[in-house]
Amino acid sequence: MYIIDCYSISPQKTFDESFFEGQVEGFVGNKYHAIEPSYADLIPRGLLRRMGKAVRIGIGAGLPLIEKQKDIDGIIIGTATGGLDDCIKFLNQIVEYDEGTLTPTNFVQSTPNAIGGHLAMMSKNTGYNNTHMGIGTAFESTLLDAFLLFEEGEASKLLIGNVEETSQHHYNIDAYAGYFKTEEISSTELFNSNSKGSICGEGAAMFVVSNKKENALCKLVDVHQFTYPKSENIEERVSQFLEKNNMSLQDIDSLVLGFSGDNRYDFWYTNLMNSFPKSTVYSYKNLVGEYPTSSGFATWLATKILTGKKTPNKAIYKDANRTPKNILIYNNYLGAQHGFILLKST
Amino acid sequence: MPKVFVTGMGVISAIGNNTAENLAHLRKGKTGIAKAKYVNSNYADTRPFAEVKLSTEELRSQLNLKTTKGLTRTDYIAFTALKEALESSQLAPEEVSSEQTAFISASTIGGMCMTDQLYKDANLISNGSEYVESYPGSTHILKIAKEYKLSGIVDAINTACSSSANAIMLGAKLIKSGRATRAIVGGTDSIGKFSINGFNALQILSDEHCAPFDENRKGLNLGEGAAYLVLESEEIVRDKKIFAEILGYGNSNDAFHPSALSEDAIGVVECISRALKSAKITPEEIDYINAHGTATGNNDITELTGINKVFNGFPPFNSTKSYTGHTLAASGAIEAVYSILSINNNELYPSLNCKNAINTYNQFPITKFAKKDIKTVLSNSFGFGGNCTSLIIREA
Repeated sequence: MYIIDCYSISPQKTFDESFFEGQVEGFVGNKYHAIEPSYADLIPRGLLRRMGKAVRIGIGAGLPLIEKQKDIDGIIIGTATGGLDDCIKFLNQIVEYDEGTLTPTNFVQSTPNAIGGHLAMMSKNTGYNNTHMGIGTAFESTLLDAFLLFEEGEASKLLIGNVEETSQHHYNIDAYAGYFKTEEISSTELFNSNSKGSICGEGAAMFVVSNKKENALCKLVDVHQFTYPKSENIEERVSQFLEKNNMSLQDIDSLVLGFSGDNRYDFWYTNLMNSFPKSTVYSYKNLVGEYPTSSGFATWLATKILTGKKTPNKAIYKDANRTPKNILIYNNYLGAQHGFILLKST
Repeated sequence: MPKVFVTGMGVISAIGNNTAENLAHLRKGKTGIAKAKYVNSNYADTRPFAEVKLSTEELRSQLNLKTTKGLTRTDYIAFTALKEALESSQLAPEEVSSEQTAFISASTIGGMCMTDQLYKDANLISNGSEYVESYPGSTHILKIAKEYKLSGIVDAINTACSSSANAIMLGAKLIKSGRATRAIVGGTDSIGKFSINGFNALQILSDEHCAPFDENRKGLNLGEGAAYLVLESEEIVRDKKIFAEILGYGNSNDAFHPSALSEDAIGVVECISRALKSAKITPEEIDYINAHGTATGNNDITELTGINKVFNGFPPFNSTKSYTGHTLAASGAIEAVYSILSINNNELYPSLNCKNAINTYNQFPITKFAKKDIKTVLSNSFGFGGNCTSLIIREA
């Protein structure tokens, strides 16, 4: 399938050209919050006020894309937790008012499909509509779902994307689980930290994908996901994946890797990188933080790279001076769930 | 494209801890909705619930899992139905853990059934409980993946109350496309303060036993349960017992309101029509409809409107939520199992509590147990967010 349009809201100013003009946000601390555009022309004020962040950034990134198209056949979203903050706000009401009379808004928005549901409602799209929440590979499953629809001939153009929000409540729970660093660290030092945990990010990346090459920014060739791998031999895995797509390791000029600064899991990326000694390597979690569907941002970044955008130096992990034509994205979430995404210039 | 067969199934709900017990209740027309025994809520005495009739401790002790750290009632219910499904399909451990086996599940409540513990963990008034990785609805998939050493596509769907219907659809599609030869699909949910207060705030939680398709219906009863189906490509089933074929599926969005269906039943008509098209059959071939039938004012009239538009009348239909309550993300899978029981036994089970048909259509659901040749069943599931899915299941 082909990516014909995309939009990203992230902790970098990615909703306009600022990021590629060299405006890079640096962070100190363990939470990277999204820089949001003005939604004034997009979302009626009354509706916007009631929206939780996941729904808001999902609509904010997705609706402008839908509005430019007349013929979207369906909407597929990947989000591990959706509006988890709405869940906890509702829960706080339950406990604090001892199950008294509560307002249902937070409850209705707490289900992860509220994002895809709102997008459908606001654009009157009655087509295929699905939401994947398979945690660290929810975005890969979203791509897979789109591939299936194209192959079945059930769609020719889809809106797909990922959304993840962070909030203090969410951070508290994941911090207990040991997901984040306990020391304060700056984003420039993230990859040298050599400690457990990563930093908490968020964002929404949306794409219009088509089964036709016309107006394509790039081709999304294939996606693959696997779980709790029995072997740590990532080279064998990636070779099989490339072979299936009639490519070899040498064909990949650029990698976008999910280095997160977590010393428990970064070896996966190092091992994979070692299989591609001549490839340029891009990183992104030092720019937008770690979250389960961050490969959505990686896909947005790869798309921009393939259209010739020059990335800020902070996104370059290792420069091999290659012209980007074939990009492999590899991400894993907490070492448990792994995904490959392959993109090609058009 | 290969046919997709159901070669195993397992279910636990308010009407039984396995398929045989569920079938016995359906045949007798005996509901599982009752006064709550395990629910911890101020509404426990004033609202009926359809609880699984085992305590969390009893569920745990029946399972013999490698680890139980951080497991919640939602997880134990899932493991119980999954175990039965895998045994009924006679799968070897290496078949379950093969990369060719996909696992697609669903849960809306997940570990949020531990409402009070989540409140403490989220607001830093605990030291971090064993449940910190258990709250979102998707967390059960990794617990199951770990226990059974799953290594292929592991995914969770959330389309609210149509979630596990979409899990079944996606599993079937993966097999047809050749990306998997086997898919274990279904969903799980349990009852917690979170869902009780959510549906209560929406004023759709009935204080009586729910009465699907009754003119004076007062809303739904919350239920809990899980069901899993083992789907296999016809290329690998060999001489295995085949329960049914997943013949078609249709997915749409009503695109009308965050928590209600449009009066014109746009999404309902679309998903049923797409399912018929995908199954390549005409409406006349549907022998029975397992309706979504939540017994809310909005759902039941809209569902009838949608059915009438597509079928120009009404095939026999019932709502088995009058037995199980609304089991949210699990309902699509539980009702798929019941649809298969109707096919395998050539039986129609009575829908309970409908005393006065909805005036607009004057159509009663199936009210008496009946023996009838049932080849092809339509099962509907609709959720908040406008998500509508229909499945078509056929005798194999």
